[in-house]
Amino acid sequence: MGASDLDRQIEQLKRCEPLTEAEVKALCLKAMEILVEESNVQRVDAPVTICGDIHGQFYDMKELFKVGGDCPKTNYLFLGDFVDRGFYSVETFLLLLALKVRYPDRITLIRGNHESRQITQVYGFYDECLRKYGSVNVWRYCTDIFDYLSLSALIENKIFSVHGGLSPAITTLDQIRVIDRKQEVPHDGAMCDLLWSDPEDAVDGWGLSPRGAGFLFGGNVVSSFNHSNNIDYICRAHQLVMEGYKWMFNNKIVTVWSAPNYCYRCGNVAAILELDENLNKKFCVFDAAPHESRGVPSKRPAPDYFL
Amino acid sequence: MAEQERRDAEAGGDAAAATHTSNMQRVKVYRLADGGKWDDQGTGHVSIEYIEGSKELGLTVLDEEDNETLLVHNITSDDIYRKQEETIISWRDHEAATDLALSFQEAAGCSYIWEHICDIQRNLQFSNLGALEVGHRQASESLEASRIMHSNDDSFRSANGEFRELPPVELSNLPFILKTVLEGGITDQIRVAELITQDRDFFPKLVDMFRMCEDLENLDDLHMIFKLVKGIILLNSPSIFDKIFSDEFILDIIGALEYDPEVPRVQRHRAFLKDHVVFKEAIHIENISVVSKIHQTYRIGYLKDVILPRILDDATLASLNTMIHTNNASVISLLKDDALFIRQLFARMRSSDISMESKRELVLFLHEFCTLSKSLPLVQQLRLFRDLSGEGVFEIISDVLQSHDRKIVSAGTDILILFLNQDPNLLRSYIVQQEGNSLLGLLVKGMVTDFGEEMHCQFLEILRILMDSFTMSGAHRDVIIEIFYERHLDYLVDVIASSCPPRSISRSQSNSVGAGRNAGGHRIKPEILLNVCELLCFCVVHHPYKIKCNFLMNNAIEKILALTRRREKFLVVAAVRFMRTIISRNDEQLIRHVVKFNLLKPIIDVFVENGDKYNMLHSGVLELLEYIRKENIKALVIYVTESFWDQLTKFEHFGSIQAFKLKYQQYLESAEPRLSASVPDVRKKAEQRGLEKEEEDYFNEDSDEEDSGSGRRAKHAQNQHSKAKVPNGSEADNVEGASRPKSAGLVDYDDDDDEDFNPPPKEPARPSEDDVPLNISTVKRRPVNTMDGKHADGDGRKRQKIETRISCAKIAAVTSTASKHTDLQNKHAPESPTSSTSSTEANGALRQHDTNCQEHQHSVENAEASRQAGGDCIKDVGSMSTEKAVNTTNPSDSEPYSVR
Repeated sequence: MGASDLDRQIEQLKRCEPLTEAEVKALCLKAMEILVEESNVQRVDAPVTICGDIHGQFYDMKELFKVGGDCPKTNYLFLGDFVDRGFYSVETFLLLLALKVRYPDRITLIRGNHESRQITQVYGFYDECLRKYGSVNVWRYCTDIFDYLSLSALIENKIFSVHGGLSPAITTLDQIRVIDRKQEVPHDGAMCDLLWSDPEDAVDGWGLSPRGAGFLFGGNVVSSFNHSNNIDYICRAHQLVMEGYKWMFNNKIVTVWSAPNYCYRCGNVAAILELDENLNKKFCVFDAAPHESRGVPSKRPAPDYFL
Repeated sequence: MAEQERRDAEAGGDAAAATHTSNMQRVKVYRLADGGKWDDQGTGHVSIEYIEGSKELGLTVLDEEDNETLLVHNITSDDIYRKQEETIISWRDHEAATDLALSFQEAAGCSYIWEHICDIQRNLQFSNLGALEVGHRQASESLEASRIMHSNDDSFRSANGEFRELPPVELSNLPFILKTVLEGGITDQIRVAELITQDRDFFPKLVDMFRMCEDLENLDDLHMIFKLVKGIILLNSPSIFDKIFSDEFILDIIGALEYDPEVPRVQRHRAFLKDHVVFKEAIHIENISVVSKIHQTYRIGYLKDVILPRILDDATLASLNTMIHTNNASVISLLKDDALFIRQLFARMRSSDISMESKRELVLFLHEFCTLSKSLPLVQQLRLFRDLSGEGVFEIISDVLQSHDRKIVSAGTDILILFLNQDPNLLRSYIVQQEGNSLLGLLVKGMVTDFGEEMHCQFLEILRILMDSFTMSGAHRDVIIEIFYERHLDYLVDVIASSCPPRSISRSQSNSVGAGRNAGGHRIKPEILLNVCELLCFCVVHHPYKIKCNFLMNNAIEKILALTRRREKFLVVAAVRFMRTIISRNDEQLIRHVVKFNLLKPIIDVFVENGDKYNMLHSGVLELLEYIRKENIKALVIYVTESFWDQLTKFEHFGSIQAFKLKYQQYLESAEPRLSASVPDVRKKAEQRGLEKEEEDYFNEDSDEEDSGSGRRAKHAQNQHSKAKVPNGSEADNVEGASRPKSAGLVDYDDDDDEDFNPPPKEPARPSEDDVPLNISTVKRRPVNTMDGKHADGDGRKRQKIETRISCAKIAAVTSTASKHTDLQNKHAPESPTSSTSSTEANGALRQHDTNCQEHQHSVENAEASRQAGGDCIKDVGSMSTEKAVNTTNPSDSEPYSVR
């Protein structure tokens, strides 16, 4: 698969037209080779633009690229949850993956709690693959790739980025090093917590998460984590914030959410966080794509049927 | 208010009714003038309405005298409204560029409107009632109460009374009908739905009107018809659905939905349905109502997935899904009970004189038939699958799997998975009874077949379900596992071994010709090797005993570890993961085997070669070492440290490597005091008593090791005693561990033993099954007569056991630890005599064990069952819905996930 093939596929995906099953397979294998070389705490250089959950909202992601600039002109870090809920999980994830394969150093993808076999069977990605391809092979390739996605990122040694949050099992970044991430997101343990936990004002230390996985953690946990790892703040996603982003705990942690009008009905705005080479922050808030710019949802069923 | 929007006719109609409203709605409108003074704009009646053009809810005040619009204000989520003194609501109005206020005559009216403003703002902010995309229905629920308020007023009842019958469907009435459909509360909507269903002429007239508008290209009215049809669908009435999805109306209904005013281009759904979609009849279906249902189902699906996905609310979506589901169930049910149809289907599939094309169609039909049978009630589904297997469906699939047409191979495997998810024993019993069990062979072959651009990961899944030992099921599975190990495992191991460059070639050179080719000269694709490796990991977890026999015998672990020599890093990582799975068995014999054959060497080598690169290989190996340390696998801690410390020392700055070394040192320290203890006589006796007996005892003890905690502890004790056996490089490495008890004699002994008993680690080629006994008989010290491979198995294992036992005894003797060692108490089993020493008996023990480990379920339920159980409830904070996490299986068990 040459760069020109890949460029053609990227163009096709940008029009929200999915790839063939064979193309998906080849793309995933290529991606596997790249992702296997990435670390559990992937180093990322500034300038970089950090994006939160996308959830298959393809046209809104195109808005995101309009606001943030195209890849590779802009460096991107996506904090996971590419799939489920929206109508275009397949196209969304494949576009990001194709960009990753084309420009490995320009875009970083880390894993969210929805990048999981179990969750995608419940929240839409599985059904979408089945509907768009008539078989679940594409789902299988993609979920296999999920196992290779990195778990977190560290920007210029100063900003720790993760999908969910912290884990009681992790006090130093070096403890993340010894996680064998090639597995389905487990029920519990460090890897699960990184993808599932949430910061919570009302909690001191650690609390039970209403999500049933991960933990709630309070400001003191964040302070001591940031201090012992010598980082400025944590950047995470995972929770809908109506304003697109939200600081907590005295600017020690920020939530970035990049799915405007989440589920096509929450009425929220979305945001991305642009960091320049000196790590100066700029939040860009954006709205859902206007109705007119959306094509007909491409859930077109197979043209032949027996039953 | 200069910039008030003109309201259209339909709203005007309602406004007329609203002039008779009660005092509750009576307000004065004020506007803040420049001087800070409130100007009275007039008195009128306030209501909350859809505002034309914006489709958003807003406040409207109509003058009580001349019915002119005094105020139109869009309620938005970011306006800040204030309520003062029970009767005043004020806000900063962006359009008017000043503050506005409503002063109510009655406090009740004020709080009523206030609550609605708050509701609407909340709805705008949060998901549930978002007005924009979900359609009007939900948003208008907030209006329901407002209607009730209206209807308290006698004069409004007359307006309300118009609902008692719909006006005739004519173009001129369209706005009114539209408004009626869109804006009623729930009770009104039910009434409207009733009226529409009762009116026989409603849809015929609507369709006529639509056709007429389309002919005239009257786009405005077509847009209105679109809105009306959309609104009618969102009424979510089953009887309306029955009507509009009937053959009579459905295409026109879909036609009307082509004119979405919000989509710039007119859609061409009918053209797609008429010209592109092909209904294929693999077998002619006589029953017309079945055919009609099939078409209907497709069209509802199309409507749901293509035309309206953005518009449908959850309730309507659920209704449509139910319709599809019910339709599918009745179609499948009617077809399956049509004996003639089924007979014809199978006769044609068996027939040799049909074209490839029709064969293909038949298989694809069967696939769809089986897929849709999921809509049947579970019992019927099971019965159907049983009937199909009785008709010979598996023979047909066997045939299909040998086809060159990849598409139907894929369909064939999908069908098998459907059967397996329903009742794995149907397929199992077929395979067991089949002559030569060739289907199993085909499945194994399928796993390693290169299907070009497509990949059939289904084969992996099928084999996993077939051999899943965690599910409750019986004899057939055990037979299948037996057959698999007897005939296929070695083949899969060899596929890996022969696809990896020989040891002498380093990875950097492995690109050259020859690398990655198996015996047949075909290059095995890396993704296939990945699948094979995954299946082997699965086997390690599910059939610990069988795999152990096999691996110990054939040096399979080493062959699989050849993957570390592949260029593709993900295969190297897979090899590490395989080793991790082996070690996580915590099986003493396997661990001894690992030490004896220096099997961690390739792992450590790739780790070291990888250097400081922080990638998945790095993390995978660190995790492996971390596991060994945390699980206290003493033999491995000592083996790794003593064999590889030279190499690992440069990684000492990593916490986990440091901790590993520390662990090693702790072992040494705790071992030291024992040096002075005397050798227990009992050990010596055991040694003298003759090997035959001891080995049998030991073997028997093994048979329940997997279940017994004390057995495991005994194993640990064993481990700890075998620590001194460091195959190579130990001399050099021993600088650090100078205090460690270890004699030259012991090493010599080991070496002798190696030569005598064990094939060289790198066997040139694994003997075929028939050769196994022969191979065994060449062992000089213990020629055994074995009848079959299984006996050889047992013997091979025994040899190793004896060998290690001897070393254990020796170490014990040298280190004199035994008397103090409490663990030793657990070791009485191997020392106590048992009655039998024959190898057949040993074989029996082997079998017995086998059943043991299958009966014991590791308390992991069937994956399917646990999914249904639902598991933890995971709520997505911020969104209104709850996320349900499905039970995940323990990741370290590399369990299969079955597809629902």
